[in-house]
Amino acid sequence: MPELELFLQTLIAGFLLGGLYGLIALGMALIMGVMRVINLAHGDFMMIAMYIAYWLFTLFEIDPYIAVFVAAPALFLFGLAIQKYLLNPVMKVESILPHNLVILTVGLAMVFSNLATVFFTGDYRSTPVSYASDAWYLTDYWPNSPIELSLSMPWTLSFVIAVIITIALWVFLTKTDTGKSIRATSQDVDAALLMGVNVNRVRMVTFGIGMILVAAAGCLFIPIYYLYPALGRQFTNVGFVITVIGGMGSTDGAIIGGLILGIFESMTATYIGMGWAPAGRFAIFVAALVFLPGGVASILRKRRLGKK
Amino acid sequence: MALFNTEDNMKRLSLFVAITFIIGLSSLNVYAQDVLKLGIPLPLTGTNAKFGEIEKKSYEIAKDEINAKGGIKGKKVVLEFEDSQGKPEVARSIVERLIDVKKQPVIVGEYSSSCSKAIAAVAEERKTPYLVVTGATDDITQQGYKYVFRLNPTNAYYATGFMSFLNTVVKPKTIAILYESSDFGTSGAEDMVNQAKKAGMQVLVKEQYEKGAVDFKPILSKVKAARPDVIYMVSYVMDAALLMRQIKELRIDAKLYAGGAAGFAIPEFVQNAKEASENVMTATLWSPQIAYPGAKEFAEKYKSLYKDYPSYHGAEAYSALYIVKDVLDRAKSWSSNDIRAAFKATNMMTAFGPIKFEDKEGYTNQNFMDTLVMQVIKGKHETIWPQKYASAQYVYPIPKWRAEREAGWGRYLIIVIFIGALIAALFYLWQRKKIAKEG
Repeated sequence: MPELELFLQTLIAGFLLGGLYGLIALGMALIMGVMRVINLAHGDFMMIAMYIAYWLFTLFEIDPYIAVFVAAPALFLFGLAIQKYLLNPVMKVESILPHNLVILTVGLAMVFSNLATVFFTGDYRSTPVSYASDAWYLTDYWPNSPIELSLSMPWTLSFVIAVIITIALWVFLTKTDTGKSIRATSQDVDAALLMGVNVNRVRMVTFGIGMILVAAAGCLFIPIYYLYPALGRQFTNVGFVITVIGGMGSTDGAIIGGLILGIFESMTATYIGMGWAPAGRFAIFVAALVFLPGGVASILRKRRLGKK
Repeated sequence: MALFNTEDNMKRLSLFVAITFIIGLSSLNVYAQDVLKLGIPLPLTGTNAKFGEIEKKSYEIAKDEINAKGGIKGKKVVLEFEDSQGKPEVARSIVERLIDVKKQPVIVGEYSSSCSKAIAAVAEERKTPYLVVTGATDDITQQGYKYVFRLNPTNAYYATGFMSFLNTVVKPKTIAILYESSDFGTSGAEDMVNQAKKAGMQVLVKEQYEKGAVDFKPILSKVKAARPDVIYMVSYVMDAALLMRQIKELRIDAKLYAGGAAGFAIPEFVQNAKEASENVMTATLWSPQIAYPGAKEFAEKYKSLYKDYPSYHGAEAYSALYIVKDVLDRAKSWSSNDIRAAFKATNMMTAFGPIKFEDKEGYTNQNFMDTLVMQVIKGKHETIWPQKYASAQYVYPIPKWRAEREAGWGRYLIIVIFIGALIAALFYLWQRKKIAKEG
């Protein structure tokens, strides 16, 4: 019985973590799909959103979950500006290096984390919300249960909000004209251009939406984690690995990839050792590249084609 | 660019040097009789600068107090801080200059172990007494140096207070050790493994984690399944807070939760972990509310001046100057042998605790003292062990998590969100089916 309890508790932890990871990767995958660029400043945009949430909490006692409504629009506008004044001009430049944009995002990441160190110092900060360690317990609802499982309240809340945001994004991509043109651009830029899609505008909007997603992820992470200027790199890595597992640019793949990585990390921590989690992440990254180059998305596509 | 190339600049430079020299000489003549200048090497820049700053402020508080009461043997104390940048070779050359050029009778200062070690060698070679203030590596006082004295307990004795609390009050049989995978974490964990074995405890879980981990629940679930009596963690502050929060979340009921100083011993731990920090214990050398005479006064004075309580490093520096005063007051003359004899005879109480330099257990001129245990009681760190210095009665046995639970408003919020999510998910499936049909 303790074995089962350990397994289930690990599974729950992995699932919740995976959902949040998925949200980070979702924005990255969306940008990747439309712009063909891996945004290596993704984690640092998340860091900016977390600072917004942190200051709102510290100065005005606004709950981090409500801070989403401030941080997301702020980062949306910020993303539009970055896209318009930095990414687009670079995109037009012909150069020997084909990946100027990727290099630009790396530069942005450095600038952001260093600016944050200058403005906010390197101190670790957190938002100690009152419900930080609240949880639900199986034995509270089923007193005779042979095993005890717990479900953390802030983790669950973050997970559920992540799911809602994901669904909202899906509705947006499938139901609205803008969403449809984003998908069209992602599938084939030239065809989209011929069909009269304003590709430049779509790129801007996509980058902005990617920022909304990462801002939301930041606000969902801060009640359960903490904040410091160099935090971005860690989450950029996570997002990057998931994007690869999920299949470059696939949003469905990003969600499934996030869950896979979250559960994989938790299982590694329980059954091998927590010190191994980063190594495991790297191993799964390489394995995905070698054995499943198209990522989870390629499996999904095969199934869909098979049905027809 | 051409600062030293032109003759003009050279002239100016030599004039400047001459003037400073003259001023220096004249000031020496005026003050030589009633001023005691002490050069103190400290890391004022570099990675250890924060601790250097705390110590500098503390030395200055002690200096002002001593001067207000008439100085040392009628001489006014003047402190000159020398920046060692935390580099042993710089610390070494500073001290060589202090001894050879300035003829300083006694050396005091430095923060890190490596710098203290370098200075100790110089001081021994030149037969000048040196008081080690914060360097904690054991071998500084294990080399049989005759002129090196150390006021702080060494690394190996750091956890003695905590172990004595375990052995007298808790009497645990098993322990789980979680630690950060860094130098600091691994050495702390190794030390605890040895101590636990000595005390006859069985180490059930020994797990390291990468700094910056988000979710500790997997290894904590493992700890829970092992049911240890004591959970001991070596972490910095943010990981410490996350660990305790998630321990509370998983309701892991151990007899005792303890941290190896660092992240657990500072007020930020309580601020971040909130009610999950309650009753958590930690080993430490000193605390601002300890019942040593003068400790509270020093801590309050420091706080009123610098808005924050000092760490134990501050108390060590503050007390170090008082020890120097005591020694120089008692010494027959200020020759190095007389000062050394006075150091040997030291038996005094300071804000940092009782000071007496002893030769035992392979150490020479080492001060042995009780290390302390602190516990978070009602959201504040209190000293609980040894009992003669306690500021509050310890809380043991620790109440189980389950009893503390109460329903919050958040519960209703999440139910609403859950239902919302469910509806959204159904909507999603329904739409998806519709699209599949259309397609």
